[in-house]
Amino acid sequence: MSNLHHDDHSHDSHEHGHHKETFISKYVFSMDHKMIAKQFLITGIIMGTLGMAMSLLFRLQLAYPDMKMPFLENLIGQWGKDGKLDPNFYLALITIHGTIMVFYVLTAGLSGTFSNLLIPLQVGTRDMASPFMNMLSYWFFFLSSVVLCCSLFVEGGPASAGWTVYPPLSALPKAIPGSGTGMTLWLAAIVLFIASSLLGGINYITTILNMRTKGMKMSRLPLTIWAFLMTAVLGLLSFPVLLGGALLLIFDRSFGTSFYLADIPADIAGGIERVGGSPILYQHLFWFLGHPEVYIILLPALGITSEVIATNSRKPIFGYRAMIGSILAIGILSFIVWGHHMFITGMNPFLGSVFMLGTLIIAVPSAVKTFNYLATLWQGNLRLTPAMLFAIGLVSFFITGGLTGIWLGNAALDINLHDTYFVVAHFHLVMGSAAIFGMMSGIYHWFPKMFKRKMSESLGHLHFWLTIVSAYCVFFPMHFMGLAGVPRRYYANSAYESFDIFINMNQFITIAALLGGAAQLIFLWNFFYSIRKGKRTEQNPWESNTLEWTAPIEHIHGNWPGELPTVYRWAYDYSKPGAEKDYLPQNVPDAGQVDEQQEPNPEVFVPASKPTVG
Amino acid sequence: MRIITTVFRSLLLVSLLSISFSGFTQTAEEGEKLFTANCTSCHAIGEKVVGPALKGTHTKHKEEWFIKWVKNSQKMIKSGDAMAVQLSKENNEALMTSFENLSDNQIKSIRAYIQAESEKPAAAATAGASVGSETASGAAASGENPYTNRINWLLFIIAALLVGVIGQIFGILSKVSEIQGKPVINWSSINAKLLLAFMITGLIASIWEFVVHGRWTVYATDAASAHGAEYDNMFMITVAITGVVFIITQILLFWYGYRYRADGKRKAIYYPDNHKLELIWTVIPAIVLTILVIRGLKTWNHIMNSRDEKASVVEVFGYQFGWSVRYAGADNKLGNHDFRQMGVVNAFGVDPKDPKAQDDIVTTELHFESGKPVSLKFRAKDVIHSAYLPHFRVQMNVVPGLPTQFNFTPTITTAEMRTKLNNPKFDYILLCNKICGGAHYRMKMKVVVDSPEDYKKWLASQPSLVASSTPAEMPVDTNAQVSISTEPAKTLASK
Repeated sequence: MSNLHHDDHSHDSHEHGHHKETFISKYVFSMDHKMIAKQFLITGIIMGTLGMAMSLLFRLQLAYPDMKMPFLENLIGQWGKDGKLDPNFYLALITIHGTIMVFYVLTAGLSGTFSNLLIPLQVGTRDMASPFMNMLSYWFFFLSSVVLCCSLFVEGGPASAGWTVYPPLSALPKAIPGSGTGMTLWLAAIVLFIASSLLGGINYITTILNMRTKGMKMSRLPLTIWAFLMTAVLGLLSFPVLLGGALLLIFDRSFGTSFYLADIPADIAGGIERVGGSPILYQHLFWFLGHPEVYIILLPALGITSEVIATNSRKPIFGYRAMIGSILAIGILSFIVWGHHMFITGMNPFLGSVFMLGTLIIAVPSAVKTFNYLATLWQGNLRLTPAMLFAIGLVSFFITGGLTGIWLGNAALDINLHDTYFVVAHFHLVMGSAAIFGMMSGIYHWFPKMFKRKMSESLGHLHFWLTIVSAYCVFFPMHFMGLAGVPRRYYANSAYESFDIFINMNQFITIAALLGGAAQLIFLWNFFYSIRKGKRTEQNPWESNTLEWTAPIEHIHGNWPGELPTVYRWAYDYSKPGAEKDYLPQNVPDAGQVDEQQEPNPEVFVPASKPTVG
Repeated sequence: MRIITTVFRSLLLVSLLSISFSGFTQTAEEGEKLFTANCTSCHAIGEKVVGPALKGTHTKHKEEWFIKWVKNSQKMIKSGDAMAVQLSKENNEALMTSFENLSDNQIKSIRAYIQAESEKPAAAATAGASVGSETASGAAASGENPYTNRINWLLFIIAALLVGVIGQIFGILSKVSEIQGKPVINWSSINAKLLLAFMITGLIASIWEFVVHGRWTVYATDAASAHGAEYDNMFMITVAITGVVFIITQILLFWYGYRYRADGKRKAIYYPDNHKLELIWTVIPAIVLTILVIRGLKTWNHIMNSRDEKASVVEVFGYQFGWSVRYAGADNKLGNHDFRQMGVVNAFGVDPKDPKAQDDIVTTELHFESGKPVSLKFRAKDVIHSAYLPHFRVQMNVVPGLPTQFNFTPTITTAEMRTKLNNPKFDYILLCNKICGGAHYRMKMKVVVDSPEDYKKWLASQPSLVASSTPAEMPVDTNAQVSISTEPAKTLASK
């Protein structure tokens, strides 16, 4: 691949760019991938805090259904009248919690942050293929976040039909107050979000395929990049389907069509009788995105984990090719399994069989990944940094949640498990906790790259232990509630005597959740404190092999001063026999492999490349 | 003479009083039954559910107005009744189901019940509706709830302590390590030991949960249906296989984390791959999953494709927020329906002219005959619901405009299950398991499995759609109507 020409070009524009860097162009409408990554991360963290706070509110309701909480009235006004959470607002809370966590934190916050930060730095290029589109991607995301947050303040409350917003509930304002203006804003936010996601995805794919530095063959890419590539492909193929689905829902809501509505009498459906549509059609369109979405969330986390585990085990990742293979297999299979969310919608049992087959096959590449992680740890020399601990935590959640996937993916068993707390436990472990742990792992690991300083390790350890203990205490007991038939999305279980037995368990879960929430305060403090006052980082704090650690600590537009690094090896030459240290960065040639002149020298970095303000 | 008169008068007064008192209690009791059957899915006395709290309603609205409102609130709103319009606005214009089937007297007894409940002293208000405990505490909550402040303070204290302690630790640690020039705590060793400790406690805790909380699940007792045995078999196989994998992999993960922590003396081995090993752990999961897939497919297809010509046809109808049941009657065929006919009176939208509809029976309880295959047909009025019968291992979504069904055979009667569980109060339930609106969490129906004799008796006591008159004479809508709600009231009363 000849990228020499391109390098010259971007280098030129980099020089050119210096003269007009202002506060606005540097921090706000930045086109620099490193700044955009930070923007994604901080927006994601803010949204995540909001989503978590919501979960604590509804957890309090579930644990103490009879308790009056006067602070609610101050916090949410009429929805918390007399200190009691309104049942409709409870549904709004779970809906927005789900939406925020799935899309805003674990899609944009995770993939947006680390794809932006790492793709150019790890493939060795100056920036994204289209920095302008990259900037648009962030600002669409920002706008989308603002619209979603605005929906919290409209009459009738925000969307309340569950994060999957199945019609007719989401289509008929008479069915639930949240399906009024709140739902309209939810749809608007999602449309903006999809635009953001597509702009980002096209950029990631193009950059990875076309702009790798000299010597960076596909077979030498770090696994992070492979994961980001597959993630972007999944998003690019599936998000447009959700866009179509959302548009049809907008039509049904605002223009009197009946794509998703069948046999709804006029008095419920806003004066027009609705016939001929199918509510199940929406579910097909939604889950055609919805299932790949699970892997859009999970794959980047797994990519980050691969990188962090290899670095901190001081060992090559075990079975590099098998890892790539399983990423590809998971990605491809994720497109033919969406029906397992719909086994009991009344679909043809034969169709159910097909979806079940695909679903259980996904367990094979997932198992391979798990075993490869275990083999990587085996006989390693583990540095138990916060990033490493979070990566180990991810593997643990991936196992626990993944195994219950085998229960739920079995169409027969799904009959009695569908939509119970068992499902809540399953996906909060396998994609919620696991992906959050991947994200945390990434934040602790690449914080020095983003902010030139390190986070406190002691607080990191504390954060990890409190979080993993509380996450297991929250989600593990939920399995048993599900097995007793407790449905999810219930405001209270008080109408069912047989569920009274779970009230203590619910209180236990809520206390664990509060503990987990408190642990995140430690993280927030550590994060924001370290941005300003953390210890300054060394050039390569984790003694890692990948290219980002050869770029100067001080961020410069164009990433590397002078020439781009040349790559001579894969990313995982840790503890290689014969090598002087226990790591060999990708840009270090074997003796006699190339003449030294082509080598970029990190020490050559000059302060002149600091942007001049004004 | 005077004395006699006085005595007579006072006697009369006392007896009158007692009559009126007993009359009052009776109507309130009757009202409670009606309230439970018709109102609790949307209302409670002391708290807002979907509809407003009904406490004090009897003082706010005149009886006449109240009856009109319950019978058809939309008509009143449309007619521009100021109070009705205001009430509708206060409640986000949510539609209240119309109860034209209830007689004036029945509505009066509901009102009496509301009055009795409202006037109970807050602390003594124990009996709510069927959802008693919650309603009661809602009413009780008007007094000071002792937990409220404690929990708030507890929250505050926990947060404050955590922030304080952590700040202190952080400050001290960073100062000490500055002075010593090296980290104070050997985090590597602490973390490694914690990994080990976490693994051991975690495994013990999960096994404890399986043993203790496993007993609370529906799988601790036999499934109440024929296919349930097959289901539970599949379930147990899956539990066993995943359980073994769970324990082995978690032990390895945390053990490696502990065992291979950096100690500064060792170097990691360079071990990038081993094709044989990778092949083994690709093929073994593949084989295990193949077994699970084959068994799963067999179970799934067997459950879903079971059809029996002799199965009794029963329709379950879901709406916001309740369930109704329609039995097919002697011809075992349900009458045709049309959603356009669904309305205030004819909730099911049954076609009254259809001969198949003439013997249909509508009830608010779901009864099955033990040992007899049943074909459950599902229909929804407004949004998607899901009919979930966990004890039978039965669930099917209830979708407007898209009829669904589930065929199965109930095998254990309610009485037998009560003995099995040693719980005389046990009842099977049907829950709504698809988010459907504000009162989703209260949308349930009692399910009873009868012995064949009891079932026949019960069904015979339920009048058919045309029980009281011939369709020609009676306005059609009222037909469906009559059986929908007076009957459940009768059934309840007869118990």
